[in-house]
Amino acid sequence: MTVTIKATGQKPVRAQVTRKRGLGTMRGLPFVLPYLPFLVAFGILPVAYAFYLAVTTDTGGWAGFDNFTRTVRDYRFLPALEHILLYTGMWLGSLIVIVVGLALLLHGRANRVTSTFRFLFYIPGALAGASSVLVWLFMLDPSVSPGSFLLRNVLGSHLFVESIAPGKLPFVFAMIAFWTGAGGWIVVMYGALNTIPHDLEEAARVDGAGPITIALRLKLPLIRKWIAYMAILAFATGTQLFVEPQLVNQASLGQVPDTWSSNQLAYQLAFRYGDFNGAAAVSVDLIAVALIAAVVVVKRTGLFRIED
Amino acid sequence: MVLVSRGFRLLILTAFAAFFIVPIVWLVLAPTKSDEALVTNGPFAFGSLGNVALAWDHLDAFSNHIYRAWIGNSLLYALGATAIVLVTGVPAGYGLALSTFPGRRLVLTLTLIVMIMPAATLVLPIFLELDALHLIGSVLSVILPFSFFPFGVYLAYIYYSTAIPRDLLDAARIDGCGEWSTFRYVALPLAKPVVALVFFFSFVADWNNFFLPYAVLADSEQYPIQVGLSNLLSSTPSFNPATGGGGQQVGIFRPELALATLLAVIPVAIVFLLSQRALVRGLVAGAVKN
Amino acid sequence: MRLLGRFASPRSKLHWLRRSLLLSLAMAVVLPAGACGDDSDKGKDSSKLTIWVDAVRLPVAEAYKKEHPDLNLDIVTYDGDGNGATTMQTKIQLWNRTGKGWPDVVFSQQVNDPVWMAQKPFEFAAPLNDLIPADLISKWPAPSTAQCTVNGKLYCVQDNLAQVVLWYNKKLMDQFGYTVPKTWQEWAALGSKVATEHPGYIVGNIGDSYGHWIYLWGNQCPLEQLNGGKLLINSADSHCTRVASMLDPLVKNGTLPPLSVFTPDFAGKYGGAADKVLMMPGPAWYAQAVFNDTLHIPAGEITAAPPLQWESETPVTTGQVGGGPWIIAKRSKNLKGAADFVIWATTVFNPSGKDARPGYPAYGPAADVWLKDMATNKYFAADPTPALKGAADKIWTGWHLVTYPDQPVWSNTVVTQLVAGKSLSSLMQPFGDALAQAAQASGYTVIRQ
Repeated sequence: MTVTIKATGQKPVRAQVTRKRGLGTMRGLPFVLPYLPFLVAFGILPVAYAFYLAVTTDTGGWAGFDNFTRTVRDYRFLPALEHILLYTGMWLGSLIVIVVGLALLLHGRANRVTSTFRFLFYIPGALAGASSVLVWLFMLDPSVSPGSFLLRNVLGSHLFVESIAPGKLPFVFAMIAFWTGAGGWIVVMYGALNTIPHDLEEAARVDGAGPITIALRLKLPLIRKWIAYMAILAFATGTQLFVEPQLVNQASLGQVPDTWSSNQLAYQLAFRYGDFNGAAAVSVDLIAVALIAAVVVVKRTGLFRIED
Repeated sequence: MVLVSRGFRLLILTAFAAFFIVPIVWLVLAPTKSDEALVTNGPFAFGSLGNVALAWDHLDAFSNHIYRAWIGNSLLYALGATAIVLVTGVPAGYGLALSTFPGRRLVLTLTLIVMIMPAATLVLPIFLELDALHLIGSVLSVILPFSFFPFGVYLAYIYYSTAIPRDLLDAARIDGCGEWSTFRYVALPLAKPVVALVFFFSFVADWNNFFLPYAVLADSEQYPIQVGLSNLLSSTPSFNPATGGGGQQVGIFRPELALATLLAVIPVAIVFLLSQRALVRGLVAGAVKN
Repeated sequence: MRLLGRFASPRSKLHWLRRSLLLSLAMAVVLPAGACGDDSDKGKDSSKLTIWVDAVRLPVAEAYKKEHPDLNLDIVTYDGDGNGATTMQTKIQLWNRTGKGWPDVVFSQQVNDPVWMAQKPFEFAAPLNDLIPADLISKWPAPSTAQCTVNGKLYCVQDNLAQVVLWYNKKLMDQFGYTVPKTWQEWAALGSKVATEHPGYIVGNIGDSYGHWIYLWGNQCPLEQLNGGKLLINSADSHCTRVASMLDPLVKNGTLPPLSVFTPDFAGKYGGAADKVLMMPGPAWYAQAVFNDTLHIPAGEITAAPPLQWESETPVTTGQVGGGPWIIAKRSKNLKGAADFVIWATTVFNPSGKDARPGYPAYGPAADVWLKDMATNKYFAADPTPALKGAADKIWTGWHLVTYPDQPVWSNTVVTQLVAGKSLSSLMQPFGDALAQAAQASGYTVIRQ
């Protein structure tokens, strides 16, 4: 049984008001009840608690915007913001161009070879988290890396310390994120391409369109919404960066600071200085980004329809 | 002309495939070499299986076999949380898909919104929440947050919206089935593909999660493997030299680190292979990614 | 029933699903309970000792365990808070919040760790005046105990003295016909000479996270000087700028590379078979740990000379790289056991030869034994002990320990830019600024001149 998303533009068929849909009112509630505590406890309450902490002081009094202004003025806040914006920009760019490009290339001729490639692209996804950073610590060291030629000649680094020079970091982290995440997104884009009716493609081919024209003029516009969804999600995820700079901070003997990303700054504020209100303020900044992105995706892309 | 464009296409695809796969090939071959051989021999040279055994001995000896504890913890957290996700999430998806009740839209919208928010967003607030409940330090501080997996609920919701034809439900009701029986005899038997899908995504997400366990676990014996790997990294002399000596006694060098990373990936790889069929069918046909 | 007939075979699937779900659920419920049980037991056992050490101190802890087999010892290896990490701070925060989990003894590579451990909000360290007999404490050198004293109480004892001396390769120096420099100026001149006469050889390095402790501390650069209630961070002081000017040409001509001595790259380029380390200002513990264990420089080549003097200024002062404080946790349930271990590790443990303690023991009597053993150690070309002993009391006292780590600031602001090719002189101002920011974030009132 295949799982499909309702393509946009299709109006969901509404059941008649008089006819009870499915199990009817209230009958489904018991099935949902066990899930609700988790939704509240780990979805809603943390957001609320973060907002609460961000506007109060450590003794519980009202702080208004104080925590926000204080953390913004912290000397590490702006550099961290700059870092994650640079990183997110590079990662987004790579996703939109390379992932969509690869998906189109794959979809152009769907066969056994194609599915093998897709599988190969997906494999690094199994190494998300700390594992992928560790692999890349080795890949970035010209003395052991299989890509040492590229490191020396393209990246210009002959030593590991040069690979993680401050200017190169956003690119390096974007590359790691791309390596682990691209495969999954390629599969999704491929799936999105599959929702394009075959007759459209056939008609275009009959009209004499070559594969490139079909890809760029026909398929690409039809998966616009999916690309937007991917971009928005990637933006939200990118700003939350934590694992990669944290591990590289350890591996670089402190040359990469432990407050390189905003989430790291929040972590240090909380766990090193015990300033949970400040940490909450920074968290709320990041949560706001994620929330806005989520709401935009849900309400505006129309990819997620909630049927009544 | 067609051949040129096909060849070009193949070239690009192969180049990217190399980018994705070569580091993994390196990782598989690295534990077979000694630390010097990693530098002097080629990156694809095969050393010996003896070196792998040696590397494992060092790795296992680190901090009293703590590596095994880390793997065990990851299994506990991932399987425990995924079990809870399946038990709470699949029925929830079913209920959301096939009934109406006050607040249904709200629950769905909230689920969607939180699902799209990245995992790292709520770690610090969740830490403080768990602290207020005095759960910090217990394994529940990891398992309970992991058990909240809105993407699983959403997958189940999508699945049941499309998988159960109206007549089947009507037939069940005509036959006199109550709600629970309908679920048992209609929904559950059809659940296998969605259970496989949710199991896969939940397990992999839990196995790879770093930030939450890093923040809430103080005792390194409780670390899951991802956080354990960072602990290992900070004990590897070439990556974290000790002020006051070389730290060679610990015996963790680059082959051991590579082996540790490789072994940490194997359970996910197994789950991945097992879920392949459900995944391909589910995803390729156009499901949504979390 | 029509329905049942249709689902006769899926019924077994259903049972399988139900059973496995129940099993996983059961496991999820049962196992955590077991794990929690262990936690609560830890606290009650007062003969248990949890010791946190770094990789280098692991042999000490294991030797103690061997000598006391009936003791319940839990040895945990961690990163030692090295290179300015904040591991201990985050851990202590967590333990304080949960109200449990504190180890009994902690070894730290950061000599300033006890300073914040003794104060709010951490309040982790136990005062040692009651735990360690006064007559033992008196045998630690006064500067060493001074560094462990916060608000009048003693909160740690140091494992070793880490005074900076001038390590040099006697064999190479004789071979090239150079004399061992006595002043920084002679050393710098030699560096320029080496760059032309023997390119590829180095007279030091500046890529470690503690480069400022080697070159700036000893030359009296006021970057961490507590005056009254304020912290003086003046990187524009002549004591700082003149050192930077002296070092700039050496970094440029390659005799003072901005590379960490612990990286495999360094070992490959200058150690082992390459054997290109001509001289190296460095702390006492470089002795075997760096030259032999890390760089694999052949035996019979390395020895130590007294720390360098600036022109003809007296007294000669030198820097300090480490010290290795041992800290006992205030909330330890086994204070006596913890104290026994710390005393044993600092005053008794003193093997000879290759397994010798890497650092110059801070405890006086242990130092004498260590020096005697070092003097006859076949690894060195000549007896390094006169230089080591002579430098022990020359550490400049104008550099005070603060609550924030300054190593990451050096690494992040200076080393990365040196690697990129900038001059040290141009980095002194940003370095001072960054130090001031770190100090202010930690609550200090900073004055810049």
